[in-house]
Amino acid sequence: MEKKRIIPRWLAGLLVASAVLWGQASPAQEEAASPLYRYKAYEASTGYYEAYETRPRHQRPLIGITGLREGVFPYSPTAASVRNRSRLGDSHRALSFYNRRTCESCHTKASENLHSIRGNLTCRQCHGGEPIASIHHYRSPLNPIRRHAYVCSKCHQGASASYGGYIIHEPNPALASTFRTFPVLAWAFWIMIGIAGGTFALFIPHTVLWAIRELFSRDKPSKPGSTP
Amino acid sequence: MSKRLYRFTPIQRLFHGLLVFTFLIQAASGLGRMYMETPWGKALCLVFGGYDGAGEIHRGTGLFMLGVFALHLVYLLFCIQWRQLPGCLMGPDSMVPHPRDLGHFLQHVGWFFGLCPEPSLDRWGYWEKFDYWAVFWGMVILGGSGLMLAYPIFASSFMPGWSLNVAFWVHRLEALLAMGHVFMIHFFIGHLRPRHFPMDRSIFQGSARLETMARERPAWLDRLKTDGKLGERLTDEVPLARKAIYMVFGYAAMAAGLYLLVGALLHATHITW
Repeated sequence: MEKKRIIPRWLAGLLVASAVLWGQASPAQEEAASPLYRYKAYEASTGYYEAYETRPRHQRPLIGITGLREGVFPYSPTAASVRNRSRLGDSHRALSFYNRRTCESCHTKASENLHSIRGNLTCRQCHGGEPIASIHHYRSPLNPIRRHAYVCSKCHQGASASYGGYIIHEPNPALASTFRTFPVLAWAFWIMIGIAGGTFALFIPHTVLWAIRELFSRDKPSKPGSTP
Repeated sequence: MSKRLYRFTPIQRLFHGLLVFTFLIQAASGLGRMYMETPWGKALCLVFGGYDGAGEIHRGTGLFMLGVFALHLVYLLFCIQWRQLPGCLMGPDSMVPHPRDLGHFLQHVGWFFGLCPEPSLDRWGYWEKFDYWAVFWGMVILGGSGLMLAYPIFASSFMPGWSLNVAFWVHRLEALLAMGHVFMIHFFIGHLRPRHFPMDRSIFQGSARLETMARERPAWLDRLKTDGKLGERLTDEVPLARKAIYMVFGYAAMAAGLYLLVGALLHATHITW
């Protein structure tokens, strides 16, 4: 008899607590909370998704090196140097003695950029803490699809995706390899060097010869204290 | 007192004076930022209130220079004799390059080696035209790339972000070219070569010594005599105090330029390019 009385009281208490704590559901709450609504909102579109809206396809941990060998290298400890690290969630995964190294000990030239030298920025202020994702990893804050919003705009308010295309670690424009990696920069650099070099090559000897010729010409000396 | 020949109008001298002043500010603040890794660069920036202060002044002065450049373009519109176009642009009073300038250049080089007589120049020498158009070119290149770098967010809204990398290098190299040309070649030709030593005051004072003009630009003097305009162009020497002001201003500008040139060359290997 005692058990039969307890159960209805417990159910009644649960109903009262539900009525007080849950409150009244509204359509807006349903829309925000329901996975079905969210799915329909997306699915009501064209059905086509941008690359950044979906998980990337599985990327093979095997890469080919053009001109070095046909086919692909095996993903093995002996071939670790050819692993494509630009897609890893932890770009420094499996590097030996990693915790005893600094960024500059491997990326020597990477620290020679305007942001580091003039802006006093450290690597981690842009690349984040450990594990440092590769910039092409689809969840990396430095991935070009979100770099402007997650990294650039921390200092450059209003940075757009186009602005995020500024190349922080730009190649040396004087190197021949830059014609392949950043041809516009290489051409602009060498055109400007050509103009500057041509101007100086013409006018410095011209000026020196002019001075020598005037020095030894038979002009009448100027009056003392008189200048042109 | 020796007579002088009127060469530059007050507004031309004002444009040149403003250019001298703003160019030196741009050179010092720009080099200070570029050489920030060295004590020399830090000292230069300190004049402008540090690295950020130098940047603010560099951008502000750059905008002022572009404004003066725009005013100069308006001034040119008033200078052109529209009813005599296009002939007036090719005349001896025009700064527009002419094929005879190439002839003068070749003859001048021949005179350096004693192969031919000195060219009989008219109002403007070929080197003066080169300097004038170099400023035009420089204002367009430095001004355009400078605006991109001063307003990168706006610039990248209609061009890719990597164009800022290109603009930076174009700005840097064009600025080095301009500084090298002005501090080495323009200063020497204008002020330090033996005939003009210790200084050619004509761009500050407005007039040049008649003897020097007769020796360097006989064609201009002949033309003025033929047209009967020589008399109205003859002026007297200015008082000593004004001469002293021109000399001090000219030499201060030259000293500043040489200081920047030597400092930049000495520290060139100590910065990250």
